[in-house]
Amino acid sequence: MAAATRPNLLSSTVARQKFAQGVNLLKAEFTGPTTADLGIPGPTSQVSTYDLFVVWHHTAMSTMTPPNQGDRNAAHRGPVFCPWHRFMLRQLELNLQRVLNDQTFGLPYWNWAADGQKSASQQKKSKVWAGNAMGGSGQPVKTGPFRFKSGDPTAFRVRVEANVDGQLVQTNHGLRRTLGSEVAKLPNKADTNNVLAMTPYDASPWDTSSSGLRNRLEGWAPPSAPALHNRVHVWVGGDMLPSSSPNDPVFYMNHCNVDRIWEAWLQEHGRTYLPPQSAPLFLKGHRINDLMASLVSAPMRPADVLDMTSGYVYDSLVV
Amino acid sequence: MPAQSTTALPTPQSIEAYVSRHAKQVKNAQRHRHGGMESVRVADYAGHHIVVRTRYEIAVDGRMLMGHMGVTNDGNVHYHPVPNLAFPSAVELVKKLIDIFPDDFSRKRRGRMRMARRTTHHR
Repeated sequence: MAAATRPNLLSSTVARQKFAQGVNLLKAEFTGPTTADLGIPGPTSQVSTYDLFVVWHHTAMSTMTPPNQGDRNAAHRGPVFCPWHRFMLRQLELNLQRVLNDQTFGLPYWNWAADGQKSASQQKKSKVWAGNAMGGSGQPVKTGPFRFKSGDPTAFRVRVEANVDGQLVQTNHGLRRTLGSEVAKLPNKADTNNVLAMTPYDASPWDTSSSGLRNRLEGWAPPSAPALHNRVHVWVGGDMLPSSSPNDPVFYMNHCNVDRIWEAWLQEHGRTYLPPQSAPLFLKGHRINDLMASLVSAPMRPADVLDMTSGYVYDSLVV
Repeated sequence: MPAQSTTALPTPQSIEAYVSRHAKQVKNAQRHRHGGMESVRVADYAGHHIVVRTRYEIAVDGRMLMGHMGVTNDGNVHYHPVPNLAFPSAVELVKKLIDIFPDDFSRKRRGRMRMARRTTHHR
């Protein structure tokens, strides 16, 4: 089987339509796990395949690595940020291929730095937010494939979310977005070009104060945090803000672009990763051969995802 | 443990089986509550080992916040339920939480939670 090609969201109508169709199919698929199985309070309800990814992301984020410090977790704020999200995105992509019955389907990416070149008001009018793409802003969102329809229980709804105490709870509301209200502007091409020049991949103390690509790309490093990945979450706002942010399908468009930037960096600087397996035990969960937090599949290691070209490639690595 | 294939398609059965296998981790995370939030910062400087412990107890309208709060070495505070943000002060952070989680601070919701706690305590 040839590798899937991940296209620019704006250059492929077919990819946009298939992504929306696949997301809605995974939202409607229930393979057995329930809220009770996962310790989510309230009446027992089945959890859809799509929502299992929300649970997975939240749980990884709630798992401190190691437990006696307050910065790194099993998917963020440390070296594993890039490989863990690559693992997660690939699992979603494989599930989309399954329900679409199309193994050539590749996740589309949102080249947010291209929109970041525009004025703040024009950024909110990008074609990404059109009815035939991701839909627009709103609480709830009322346009596009994930719009809220109050009388239609089968329409896209947020069913599981994190509350202010960091606990997953059941809910039932339409998707929420507040484009450009928390921060006015997206990252731009100067930001993405700068990040490509960063070396090494990561560095001691392996957290949000590190130098290197990972911390800059995740968005903790100066000049203006929240930057890059973090800034995109914050710019979209609404359901993209809490640890249950995969509730908004745009989560995957953002992270697909983050993965594309990492791929461009890997091709330029070599398929390397830090820290090595010989690093101290307090970095367990972030070393190259440590198993990464998993939910819907067997786990993977950072080493397993450094070269994914047998599974997918990008239509362009110009960031 | 064998690593996951990067190309094998999952099935509904495989998803159910893996979720069943990993559900304990989700449950553990769900049970993990904080309340009194302690953050430990560690640094080494000029041959000296520095440990800074910071303990937060935050209440809004008398209700304790229970999520995990941390302080990074540059002094910024962060809070797990809003993972992409950092704040120069805890007060600024809590103001933002009130904006982002309006349902959790609404009178109606808090009334329901108090009722639920009361019901639980009577069991």
